[in-house]
Amino acid sequence: MSAIADHPGIDLVEPRGMPFATRRKLFLVVMAVPVVAYVLVVGIWPLAQGIWYSLYDYNLIRPQRTKFAGLDNYVEIITDPVSRQALINTAIFTIGAVFFELALGFLLALSLWRDDRFNRLALALILIPVTITPLVVGLIFKGLLAADYGMIGYFLAEWGLTDPRGLLADQHAALATLIFIDVWEWTPLVALILLAGLKALPADILEAASVDGATGLQKLRIIVIPLMLPAVLLALILRTVDAFRVFDTVYVATGGGPGNATNTLMLHAVKQGLEFFNIGRASAIANLTLIIIALIAAGFVMMIRHADRKANGK
Amino acid sequence: MHDIKGNHMKNADAAKLATAGLLACLMGSTALGQDKPFSGITLTIAAQNDQFAPVIAELAPKFEEETGATVKVDILDYGSLLTKTTADYIGDTEGYDLVTMDIVWAGEYAENGYSVELSELIERDAEEIDVDDIYPNLMMGLGNFEGKQVAFPFAGYANVLAYNKTRLDAAGLEAPTTMEEFVAAAEKLTDPDAGLYGFVANGQKGPASAQDWMQYNSEMGGAIMGEDGMPTLNSDANVESLKVYRDLFRKAAPPGAAGYDWGGREESFRQGVAALMQTWSVGAPGYYNPEISKVVDDVAITTAPHSGDMAPSYGIGGWGMAINADVSPEEQEAAWAFIKWLTSPEIHKEFNLMGAGSFLRKSEMTDADLLAKFPFLPVLAETFENGDYDYRPRIPEYPQIQDFLGTAVNSVLVGDADPKEALDAAQAQAEDLF
Repeated sequence: MSAIADHPGIDLVEPRGMPFATRRKLFLVVMAVPVVAYVLVVGIWPLAQGIWYSLYDYNLIRPQRTKFAGLDNYVEIITDPVSRQALINTAIFTIGAVFFELALGFLLALSLWRDDRFNRLALALILIPVTITPLVVGLIFKGLLAADYGMIGYFLAEWGLTDPRGLLADQHAALATLIFIDVWEWTPLVALILLAGLKALPADILEAASVDGATGLQKLRIIVIPLMLPAVLLALILRTVDAFRVFDTVYVATGGGPGNATNTLMLHAVKQGLEFFNIGRASAIANLTLIIIALIAAGFVMMIRHADRKANGK
Repeated sequence: MHDIKGNHMKNADAAKLATAGLLACLMGSTALGQDKPFSGITLTIAAQNDQFAPVIAELAPKFEEETGATVKVDILDYGSLLTKTTADYIGDTEGYDLVTMDIVWAGEYAENGYSVELSELIERDAEEIDVDDIYPNLMMGLGNFEGKQVAFPFAGYANVLAYNKTRLDAAGLEAPTTMEEFVAAAEKLTDPDAGLYGFVANGQKGPASAQDWMQYNSEMGGAIMGEDGMPTLNSDANVESLKVYRDLFRKAAPPGAAGYDWGGREESFRQGVAALMQTWSVGAPGYYNPEISKVVDDVAITTAPHSGDMAPSYGIGGWGMAINADVSPEEQEAAWAFIKWLTSPEIHKEFNLMGAGSFLRKSEMTDADLLAKFPFLPVLAETFENGDYDYRPRIPEYPQIQDFLGTAVNSVLVGDADPKEALDAAQAQAEDLF
């Protein structure tokens, strides 16, 4: 006889009190409580606060003048020329940067596809820009492109290739220059994601295509690109969300200038919130940014699922 | 009985001894307390990253030695100082006991009651402070707003004209006294092929370009606020002055000035690239320092120019020291003692000899030791006596107005914006604040 069987109080088959299923559910709920509490405190509560503040004309420096403003703070993002310009600049920056990062990243990934020693070394080296803090990248390029002492800017201005005051001080070139800086820093990351996608391609299909006499271009168009779509969309979603929130590089390189030529939504939100303590307006800008990013992300996620189903023949 | 009596005697003696010991301890502690009245108190100062900040940190142990209060100096850039201290005041978090307050924050401090009102304390300790030795313009400008003394002045800055005398002499020019002479001299001294420019000013978007233009603007007859207390950013005088300033900037400033803030501008002058520069006097000691300056033997400093048809308008700026109204009365008392100590004639002289570049007292202007080291002090005296501390409006809305102007001026200097349109846009934004 076992030791347990000697104790009549222990019932291994059906415990007394609550049924097992109920107790299991209760256990799961208890286990989930910390996570739910964390999400409520760290995620939902600040978000709700942000939405609440955005409906008020609320400035921390002049709290006595606080009044309900409805959707005025949101309307002003569109009607106020500075906010509108920031929205447009952010859109141009995001589209421009992500387009070039994706195109160049794909070319880089293709050139690094072959698994040899040189490519492994090259991959390690091209990833260096990704490891540098964006704020430092902004400072480096600000120094390099300065018209009077910059290693690049001085010669560009001297040879008459740029405005004498430098690329970052030229209102027609400043935003494009910031896009270039972003492309310089983040293309390697896109290349890395796409390279992972390339390496995961089924070799037998490509070999079969070669046996069938498909050219390199045909293999790329018919096999590689469709099968790579999930990786492409992953890179797209990561970079789009990140580029839309750009702040550090712009803050140190141009401060949003010349004029408002490189002012972005995040820069505008930080100025409103942390310089002017205009909490209502800053919350509205942050919420709008969040909504736009959520919509973009949702769109890409749907595309990824669609591409995934297509790739798997479902 | 005997034993009892004996014990009683022993107990009585012990009680007397204990009482005497306690009194001695109390007297001792009182005596100690008088020696170091603020022992155990730590004062934390939020200090702007100007030349005075490291000097305050260097002097702090001396205050601790004298009073027992430990002084910690948190040195911050302008933006961080404003953000962190405002958050501290609003949140009642008592992070800072003392805050260096820029002249233009006075209105905001007064409206919100961030700091201890010092009028009564100044009156109480007037003799000790020697108030009459402090320039009235500095006492009012660096801490008083509409009758409320929200800070005590400790670092007066004068807007002065620094110029490269050697280059002016070579060109047969005198130091300009009017804006018309200034513009003509700057253009004449510009030789881009030789890498030499006549003038330099801040071009960077934000406070840098706004503040420099406001100075030149007031010298050319412009004003930021009207007599009715409303902004007049796009007045005819302002538009005209911005046109003159833009033309001067494009013709006579180094190309890199488009991105300069105060640091870049000062460097350009110290390296001998620019010949004329209006600047705050706090940077002047640096021109005479051979370790960082190439113009030690060439530099001269004089009062700022002004339009020929108007009275001189010398700009006054600088910093006051404010006591956080949220901290305990004991800390407030210690903070006030620190302010009195720092601005006392003896310590403030030492403070400046150590390179703070932050003058305050009339007696400093004639002090032989200071004059030997800083020959430009008479220029500061003239500016402090006759200067204007309100050319940058010290109102709660100032930071936003400065931001609107910083964008407008930068877009005119660096971009291709029309001065009238840029100032119209800034005016429309500024009107929304009132």
